[in-house]
Amino acid sequence: MNMEHYPILAIISLFLGAFLVALFGRLNKVLRNLIVAAAVTIPLCLMIALIAPVMIGGQVIGYWMGNWAPVGPWAIGIGLEVDALSLFFGLVVTIAVFVSGLYSFTYMNRDDSLENYYTLFLMLSGSLLGLVLTGDLFNIFVMIEIMTMTAVALTAFRVDYEGALEGALKYMVVGSIGSTSVLVGIAMLYSQLHTLNMAQIAAALPDHQNLVTVGAFAFLFLGFSTKAFLFPFHPLAADAHAVAPASISLMISGVITKCGVYGIIRLAYILYQNINEPAVSILITGFGAVSCFICVTMAFNQHDFKRLLAFHSISQVGYVITAVGLGTALGLSAGLYHAMNHTLFKGLLFLCAGAVQYATGSLDLGRLGGLAKKMPKTCALFLIGAASISGLPPFNGFFSKWMIYQASFEKGLDTGNFFYIVVCVVCLLSSVLTLASFVKVAQSVFFGQLQPQFENTKEVPLTMRIPMWILAVLCILTGVLPWEVLQKLVGPAAAAALNAAGYIQGMLGSGAAAGAGAQAAFSMEIGFWGPVSWLCLLLIVSCAVCLVAVLGTAEQKSPEERHEMDRRAGRTAAFTRDGFADAGRILKPAEKEGHYRNPVLSGTTLTFTGEKDPKYENFFSGEESEYSQVGGGDLFWGFKTNWRHYFQGMRRWHSGVINDYTRYGIVALAFVLLYACLFL
Amino acid sequence: MILVNYAASFFLIALGLYCMAVKKNLIKILIGMGLCDYGTNLLVVSVGFNPGGTAPIFTAGEIHPGMFFVDPVPQALTLTSIVIGACTTAMVLGLIIRIKAKYGTLDSTEIRRLRG
Repeated sequence: MNMEHYPILAIISLFLGAFLVALFGRLNKVLRNLIVAAAVTIPLCLMIALIAPVMIGGQVIGYWMGNWAPVGPWAIGIGLEVDALSLFFGLVVTIAVFVSGLYSFTYMNRDDSLENYYTLFLMLSGSLLGLVLTGDLFNIFVMIEIMTMTAVALTAFRVDYEGALEGALKYMVVGSIGSTSVLVGIAMLYSQLHTLNMAQIAAALPDHQNLVTVGAFAFLFLGFSTKAFLFPFHPLAADAHAVAPASISLMISGVITKCGVYGIIRLAYILYQNINEPAVSILITGFGAVSCFICVTMAFNQHDFKRLLAFHSISQVGYVITAVGLGTALGLSAGLYHAMNHTLFKGLLFLCAGAVQYATGSLDLGRLGGLAKKMPKTCALFLIGAASISGLPPFNGFFSKWMIYQASFEKGLDTGNFFYIVVCVVCLLSSVLTLASFVKVAQSVFFGQLQPQFENTKEVPLTMRIPMWILAVLCILTGVLPWEVLQKLVGPAAAAALNAAGYIQGMLGSGAAAGAGAQAAFSMEIGFWGPVSWLCLLLIVSCAVCLVAVLGTAEQKSPEERHEMDRRAGRTAAFTRDGFADAGRILKPAEKEGHYRNPVLSGTTLTFTGEKDPKYENFFSGEESEYSQVGGGDLFWGFKTNWRHYFQGMRRWHSGVINDYTRYGIVALAFVLLYACLFL
Repeated sequence: MILVNYAASFFLIALGLYCMAVKKNLIKILIGMGLCDYGTNLLVVSVGFNPGGTAPIFTAGEIHPGMFFVDPVPQALTLTSIVIGACTTAMVLGLIIRIKAKYGTLDSTEIRRLRG
């Protein structure tokens, strides 16, 4: 069969699967599962078959639906266009869909009306694949809408799960800002260029820059960043992930966000080709870096396993967008590489969370603990995922994060713009916080004390572990063979994104690409690690850390020193929750007179002369953590106390009210529009 | 005057966003989403308008030189967008019915179990 039919067949097989499941799924369980298995396997095979001609051969596959070939320079019909960038994301989508489908067979077997689940799931998968393979702008909008609708329905699939409806409603309402933005952007572009074909737009757009196309850029950028759940929209992702089934969390975090990333890359690199303008680069990188940092700190406060993972997910997407916004070949490669890695390791982590939920029925980090003894295999898989996301060598996160640091730092050196150095430091800091956060998760879920109610927990069945192992093996493979991945997959995809002329020619034939920017020279300069610049960076970071350490200890030490001095002077001190209070101070009754024995009241002054009450000792007292001097189960109590004003502000900010989230979205829209009008 | 259409469409979108941001009742939020949709549809269909153009239907024998159509593509887009908008409305209404049954309220400030 001709190669050019593969993309449409891949999309059709998913949608056809959805209809077949809707028709016959009710009749027979085995038949239903067979249809689903076939529907998720065929696209994966087709995408893998396309690797050789597209990735290695550098071919661009164009397909005109109904054979409506273009007349002259005008594209009439709807086209599918698969260049290396589309195929890269197509591979990511199909792998995630395959794994998620396989996992669902066992994971969802306790739910009923599963034919609805699989119908929606296959429609979601089909829309995602269609989104990345299409060459038509309006098709992208339609696919985004199918994606949103099915993702919302799947989020609320377990309607009785606490908060499922609420998460779905927020996703739908606030997400509609993004959909509206995309459509408005498309309408504005159409009014200027009178075409919807992306290749034709890319050919015409550089000569038609005016205020309307700039506005369209702002609308489209905001629409795609809504779908990627970037910064002001990240609460949606957290709400949706926390309540969706784990297999759908994998899809939302691994693929839906990637489609937003794909849209942004397509928009800035191919359609507008304006990524090299400093204003665009700073806009995209800034959005990425802010998401990266805010979400990783938000993850510290979470008590729900999957909600925590959701915030990390957006933090990692922030990394990807940061790298994509740099606009250099290295930056784009780093972004694509990290996007792929993120799908693999975050998918693995979500599936681990799903396994924990399947085995124990709980996702509460405060209640779980010690599961390593009961679920050793899941624990091993989780550790692989956690090491990957934290960027420990030799797992895949290490390599891609390294490339992101290097790319942002080099961009800073090249342009002399301090902004990129700050971005680089923010990325490094977020990586440290990610590691810290996963130490906490591992401790509170798999290690530590086993709660009595989980005494009978059993390891999840093999059919659930196989999909997890697929992802884990891919995590390790892409980590130990980075050069292969870079040359075979990431490199060609990045080269395709930087080569707008090739994209136009692939669709409309040569000669149509005259107006497009010159083909950017793509060189594989990755691997030139620039030891000197790394040393500089290390020094800067070390200095920053020293500065923080010195300033931090100065604040921290003083009460202890004071206490020490008090002790030497024979005075007594009251030991309260906030630290050491001054002896002789008037204490309120609420300040736990029981902390020390023998309270003595002389005048208005309450002092304690006795021994410390063992009831209030750290760790062993058995008291509620509320009354303990350090937060009992919390590894990072000190960090969180020092940052409590920030965390309190953030908690207020993530209020959970739809209107607030909508307001953030509107403010972001206004900001992007204003920014685009002023600087582009 | 086509400019009126553009102004009206952006006014409708702004009004819809205002509803979504300010109104506490979920049904009113849904109406806000609808207003956004209608504004967008108006914008899309206005984009394809040619003053003096006829309906974009080929009828042999009626075509004569100097005759021109309005752009048919935005009309098709608008139709698609209307259908999608209807689906969105149905979906949100369905969710609202379930939420009313579960939470016993339609006040968006009370539906905030997921937060922080």
